[in-house]
Amino acid sequence: MRAHTLLVSTSLVAALGLAGCAEKADPEAEPTPTPTTSESASGSPSPTEDAGQVVPITVEGGKVTPNGSTVEVDADEPVVLRITADEPGELHIHTSPEQEVAYTEGTGSHEITLGRPGVYEVESHDLHLVVVKLQAS
Amino acid sequence: MQYEAHGLGGAGDLPIPAEYAIAGASAALAVSFIVMALAWRTPRFAVPTGSPVAAVGRLVDSGWFTPVVRGLGLAFTGWVAMAAVFGRDSLVNPTFGVFYVLLWVGIVPASLLLGPFYKAVSPVRTLHLLLVRATGGDASRGLRDYPARLGYWPSVLGLFAFVWFELISPNGTDLGAVRLWLAAYVGIMLVGAAFFGDRWFEHADPFEVYSSFVARLSPWARVDGRLTLVNPLANLTAIPIRPGIVAVVAVLLGSTAFDSFRESSFWLTKVQGSSVDKQWLDLAAMLGIILLVGGLFAAATMLTGLHGGQARQTLPGEYAHSLLPIIVGYMVAHYLTSLVEYGQATVLQLADPLGHGWNLLGLADRAPADWLSQHPSTLAVIKVLGVVVGHVVAVVSAHDTAMRVLPRRDQLTGQLALLLVMVFFTTQGLALLFSDPTAILDWLSAPFE
Repeated sequence: MRAHTLLVSTSLVAALGLAGCAEKADPEAEPTPTPTTSESASGSPSPTEDAGQVVPITVEGGKVTPNGSTVEVDADEPVVLRITADEPGELHIHTSPEQEVAYTEGTGSHEITLGRPGVYEVESHDLHLVVVKLQAS
Repeated sequence: MQYEAHGLGGAGDLPIPAEYAIAGASAALAVSFIVMALAWRTPRFAVPTGSPVAAVGRLVDSGWFTPVVRGLGLAFTGWVAMAAVFGRDSLVNPTFGVFYVLLWVGIVPASLLLGPFYKAVSPVRTLHLLLVRATGGDASRGLRDYPARLGYWPSVLGLFAFVWFELISPNGTDLGAVRLWLAAYVGIMLVGAAFFGDRWFEHADPFEVYSSFVARLSPWARVDGRLTLVNPLANLTAIPIRPGIVAVVAVLLGSTAFDSFRESSFWLTKVQGSSVDKQWLDLAAMLGIILLVGGLFAAATMLTGLHGGQARQTLPGEYAHSLLPIIVGYMVAHYLTSLVEYGQATVLQLADPLGHGWNLLGLADRAPADWLSQHPSTLAVIKVLGVVVGHVVAVVSAHDTAMRVLPRRDQLTGQLALLLVMVFFTTQGLALLFSDPTAILDWLSAPFE
């Protein structure tokens, strides 16, 4: 009788295991708002840089700078990420909902808005690296 | 795709201001020594006693209460399972929020307020009951008796599997992997229960062990079978001491500390500059912190004089319950924003489990209230209070235990090492909330520059 219970449990487990392995659905996440992007390959300063909230980032040879360090910013002001890269890619800013910044080879400035106090990770999902932590207060 | 698990809900909390951390640490230190030097010399919280609450007792013991609660637990599980299997594979699938926030974090306040919450709603217990009923068996009897020497060890493995999956595994935000984890959990629980009877759950189910431990800090206890309101400090001492109990509290405390540590820029810059895979470094760091917590605690409890014939190695178990208030304080400090804000988002997601645009609660146009994040100072005060109150309760509980288990001549000196270890845990907890370990060095060296 008890062996019977064991048998039923085991088959239930097998069924659940199969459910667990079920095929993945479309991995498309929610549409995310695209932040304003101004490309300035020449490196000439964009007007927003006068606000003083410029965070320089480099992505070169699979390495990132500032490599997970913390940078303090003002939560209410826009933040400009000045990205220098040796190939095109994408950074994810962990606001909710998440913002994405697509960058090209060379140097470009990308304005993002954080909105409320907190610590926001800026991540490269391709490289599995946290590029910088924006500490907004 | 890979996401940080707590990156699910967006931003993390701001670090608490340095003055708050210093004030909290000083308060914890002062109270600790006051308790040790001035407090009572005979145990006060050895046995839970109190006044039975007949009205609530009648409700809880009535024939319909248990089936209704079990039915609700199973229905909720079914709803989430539907989302997990048929919902979208995206971060707005409520499965993530239910698993990481409502279950893992919500289990703490639910058990603190209501007692052994998870045991009452546990879907695996209910499934076991239904299976046994269908096959005409006895839920409490399995093929053989549960071996007592295994104690809580199976649940330690389960707890570790959870924190590893959440904090380290790159698949923690992959819906298929979460389904697989949960399927393995349900499977192991049901097979184990069929083998050992339902005593398996209180030794092996990570969520039930976690919940039932925290529930001992609630005012609810059974005294002579009657539901009674008791002093939580007395309730705490009634946690059954079984093999593995120290490992349970070490995993709970160590993994929460690791969660703060892994997000620090100090650790990120170290790990990301290394040629070794981040996963392995994270695993080594988490194991290291857990072993450090357990090792320091065990060593500190054993540094004492003993009664003749008293076995030194039984002492860590005797004191294990006294770490729970520190764990709960850490959980409050670390996961409060996540529970309140990501918890709200999860409830909204649950109203549309399949992403078909359902709006079952009529709240779909509302965004979660982010009052806590908008008020970082208030949040910092709550966090420091959580840690300090947890510390004080832990110190009082450890003192009372020393009065109960140590010979009279060693009662003061015998609790000194444990007191220092608790102060160490609390100041480290505050340091992690304060910010990066490097930030503390900066702060300390600032006057000399």
